[in-house]
Amino acid sequence: MAERLSDEVWTARDLLERLERRDQFFVLDVRNREEFERFRLEGRSPVPAVNTPYFEMLERGGKDEMLDSVVAYVERDLADQLPSDRPILAVCAKGDTSEFVAQGLRRLGYASANLKGGMKAWGEHYATRALVDGPDLAIYQVSRPARGCLSYLVASAGKAIVIDPLRHLHPYLDLARGTGLTIEAVIDTHGHADHISGGLALAAKTGAPYYLHPYDAIHPMDVLPATIPYEAIRDGQIFPVGRHELKALHIPGHTLGLVAFRLDDRYLFTGDSIFIRSIARPDLGGKADTWAPLHGRSLRRLLGLPGGITVLPGHFSSLDEADGTGRFAASLDDLKQRNDGLIVLQRESEEGFVRYLLESLPKFIPEYVDIKRVNAGLLAPAEEDAATLELGKNVCALSQGYVHSNGGRQ
Amino acid sequence: MSQVFDKLLDARGLNCPMPLVNARKEIGKLELGQVLKVVASDRGSVADFQGWAKVAKNMELVGQETESMEGANVYVHFVKRTA
Repeated sequence: MAERLSDEVWTARDLLERLERRDQFFVLDVRNREEFERFRLEGRSPVPAVNTPYFEMLERGGKDEMLDSVVAYVERDLADQLPSDRPILAVCAKGDTSEFVAQGLRRLGYASANLKGGMKAWGEHYATRALVDGPDLAIYQVSRPARGCLSYLVASAGKAIVIDPLRHLHPYLDLARGTGLTIEAVIDTHGHADHISGGLALAAKTGAPYYLHPYDAIHPMDVLPATIPYEAIRDGQIFPVGRHELKALHIPGHTLGLVAFRLDDRYLFTGDSIFIRSIARPDLGGKADTWAPLHGRSLRRLLGLPGGITVLPGHFSSLDEADGTGRFAASLDDLKQRNDGLIVLQRESEEGFVRYLLESLPKFIPEYVDIKRVNAGLLAPAEEDAATLELGKNVCALSQGYVHSNGGRQ
Repeated sequence: MSQVFDKLLDARGLNCPMPLVNARKEIGKLELGQVLKVVASDRGSVADFQGWAKVAKNMELVGQETESMEGANVYVHFVKRTA
């Protein structure tokens, strides 16, 4: 592709590459203030940004055409806030308006690029990385970097199991097609609150059964049974995949039906329990007081596993949690030393840990109640509504990556 | 409920920022007190017209509706020239 890492148009993929490399750039975001606060570009460290909605540029620039208004407005009102030593990325919702902004900035002599497809394209961008890539065993980590969601495809001898597939199915279908794999099972580690699961849709598409723990087939707030078809997971259940197998460990806490999966003594798919920097929050079912003690006991159960096992989490809060190769994985022993929640867990009594959990809860996200309804089949949103529901970064961890200096959503 | 209007701007099929840019030009051609009806297919226009109304000095957003037209949702904005 000739335009790869071009100076004037960045695709979502280019953007990820630059964020991972810690390239220095500045963002001029022309969406509404509400959209900007809810969903911002985030990298390994905060990306400096300024937000002026495009209609404010039009009014204050005072010209009939968008481009002329951008030039007039930036020249008069914004120039002192824009750096001249690094590129400026123009950002809007879908990438059309920001093209005028990037052009206007270039007319004024700035190095400026447009984010192609806007925040919609960034929010729906997927990255696939192989963690293990052999004929006997392959594990692919499929991430949605803007949302901090992680999912996995585990393959052996031509067979595959997909764990926690995200809403768009193409990464899994492409992977299976490209490597000649048959997807034999689709598993959700739990009923997700932060994103719409692709589990049921992927199962329907591939003919594979869809697995969920029955406790998560009841919406915790509505106390209504899910209407989706699923196969029930039980503690200790074995899921064969080629020459290997996954073993289910029921670890209630983040949800009542949360299940981790263990592949020998080598890999532990933790779902929303242990992440890299933090641990999962226990309050998304609205029952933090009664779920927090369960969460503590489940995490202690995981701490008893072999220390060399590699933790593969369901989320990250910051791109900075990745290792040098962009992969989100670390040994349990390593995490005992540096994971915020596990450090407290090892130090505190059961009561002390529950107190820590309840005192550390991030803001509750109201959309999460509806997302759980969607995942249980109790609500069926249109595509645009689905995209709006899961806008922004997940807030499933107890401690978040970082807080933006001018008060973005935590 | 149907809002009275003096001029219609069909901005269906146009991407952001054109529905708002074109509406802004049309407002300038109205008499004081007249109302422009803008029909857009871009859902983002709903929040954008609200935000625009807060900063614009010569107009007021007097109504917004979602209608179904030829099987698709359209977003209708009524904009009144005030200065």
